[in-house]
Amino acid sequence: MHIPDGYLSPATCATFYGASVPVWLTAGRRVKKVVRNRYVPLVAIGAAYSFLVMMFNVPIPDGTTAHAVGGVLIAVLLGPWAAVIAVSIALLIQALFFGDGGVLAYGANCFNMAIVMPVVGYAVYRAVSRHVSLTSTRRAVAAGLGGYIGLNIAALCAAVEFGLQPTLFKAADGTPLYAPFHLSQTIPTMALAHLTVAGGVEFVLTAGVIAYLQRANLPIMRINHGSVAETDAELELTRKPGWRWAVVGLGTMIVLTPLGLIAPGGAFGEAAPADLNLHKYGLSAVPSGLRHYAGFWHNAFFSGYDFSNDKHPVVGYLLSAGVGILTIGVAILAIFAAVRVLRSRGPRRPDLVEVRS
Amino acid sequence: MTSTATPAWLLDSEVGLCPCGCIGTRKKANLVDKTIAGSASLLRRAMFADDTSAQPGLLQRVDPRIKVLSLVGLLVVTSLVHHIPVLLAMYLATLPLAVASRLSLRFFVKRVWLFIPIFTGVIVLPAMFSFITHGHIVVPLGHWFGHRVGLTSQGLRSAGLIVIRVATSISLVVLLTLTTPWVELLAALRALRVPRMFVLVTGMAYRYLFHLLDSVTDMYTARKSRMVGRETDVVAGRAFVGASAGAMFGKAHALSEEVYSAMIARGYNGNARTMNRFRLGVQDLVWVTACLAAAVVVLGWDHAIGR
Repeated sequence: MHIPDGYLSPATCATFYGASVPVWLTAGRRVKKVVRNRYVPLVAIGAAYSFLVMMFNVPIPDGTTAHAVGGVLIAVLLGPWAAVIAVSIALLIQALFFGDGGVLAYGANCFNMAIVMPVVGYAVYRAVSRHVSLTSTRRAVAAGLGGYIGLNIAALCAAVEFGLQPTLFKAADGTPLYAPFHLSQTIPTMALAHLTVAGGVEFVLTAGVIAYLQRANLPIMRINHGSVAETDAELELTRKPGWRWAVVGLGTMIVLTPLGLIAPGGAFGEAAPADLNLHKYGLSAVPSGLRHYAGFWHNAFFSGYDFSNDKHPVVGYLLSAGVGILTIGVAILAIFAAVRVLRSRGPRRPDLVEVRS
Repeated sequence: MTSTATPAWLLDSEVGLCPCGCIGTRKKANLVDKTIAGSASLLRRAMFADDTSAQPGLLQRVDPRIKVLSLVGLLVVTSLVHHIPVLLAMYLATLPLAVASRLSLRFFVKRVWLFIPIFTGVIVLPAMFSFITHGHIVVPLGHWFGHRVGLTSQGLRSAGLIVIRVATSISLVVLLTLTTPWVELLAALRALRVPRMFVLVTGMAYRYLFHLLDSVTDMYTARKSRMVGRETDVVAGRAFVGASAGAMFGKAHALSEEVYSAMIARGYNGNARTMNRFRLGVQDLVWVTACLAAAVVVLGWDHAIGR
């Protein structure tokens, strides 16, 4: 995907330099803030590593080999901002010292492979690996998936850059001055190559490295995953109770409370003995047990969800609802407090070890 | 090719046209062999550039700042030219420059034209046909579903433009990289107001690149020494690549910690300093004038031919 000089018009090259510079500046600031002085060797050697990752040959089914870009791998290991700088420097060394990839096209190459690829891939990785422990298989698969999608979006960007050239830049007789293919040709071609082989290679390398580090060198994963629980069992311990969903559900029900005011008829099984349709059930009188126990409790605060003999039915209903919610809430908090007190007397859970490098 | 320091056997190139191995022969080479060959070729190219940049040639004498600026300027001029004859003249002009800079002409031409047919040629070939680039058919190739098919003048011109422009651009960059030691190239970037941290990080990355490359070669050579026959298990091969790249990251990180400690020990406090000893001489003025004149002539000629 390294675009050489000569394929893109100078205007396109300038545009992508313009688009990349603010991202580089932001990335530099963000990385510096997180790792301070240490960032110089960390990012430098990350860039050297990024350069070398492009040299690792991965076997593909037809018996030959292909190589990956590794932008998302660096993003998972060092964070997306550090990846932006590391991959940009790897591309600079390739363009300037080894003559691979154009010098004018460097901005566009960086935009595709050093900005879009790590950022998109890392977003996919984060979305798929949410609430997953550091050693989980799903984390390795998420990294691979991030690599696959990141590479394909980067390839799409390159295809759009190529495909716009014949439309925007041509001579008076229609001769395309730069890359000659239209969007309708570049996008399917790039998609075919990257959705199949190149994407697969990216997936294999990214997921393979993460899986290896998970079993062989877990502390190194802490560089970018400071406080993620190590195993699934620890994750269970640190997992916060599902408060948010409970609050959303209860809140919805509270908001819907006034529906009871407009609902017609009565609820099944809640009618007073006097309102029973005895004929419907084939009875001749209210059963004696029912009559006896119906009036068993006379001391309700809001008898019939009301307090002033139905003078203000709406106010009475809403007031009873409010007091009810409050009472239940206090009860739940009391139970929680009791559980916490009991737990703190029991055996303590092992404290999570925080490794920071 | 005369070489100052690099042993000849290291300069023997194998048939591999792209350093990354992504294009070139579809030989079903073993992944271990391929990676070892790849890292050897990277080292070879770096050492070759070190050798050529130490030769007493024309471009080696030009101030690196001026060289970077002028060659980037010429690259921009190349990309602004719209006519094949003008580009051809520009390409031909790079050849005497290469000779004057003590680069072997055979190598210089081969370097460019080995890359072009494989990469650019394959991409540009279909563009000559009427179904990609519409226009006047100059070489008719018969009919297809009632439409005339053939090579169009527009398609041929477009393909020619791309090929010769890519050739000229690569030649210019090769001239820059092979006549400038990397330390000077970095210092030139700094002198051109590229942020100091960026230059520092790039220099460090380049230096440790070869250190890490050694580790890769060691790892793969160790693997090769334990192998009998051909390795055919694709799944095991992939697992090995993942593991070796993962182990490399471990080594790289440990290295970065050591480098950091070493920097602190030598008084690093977060500020990078660079030496700036460049002084412009007469040859630089001559070179700049020549480049400016060339740019004016080329753009004027291109404009005179018409759009």
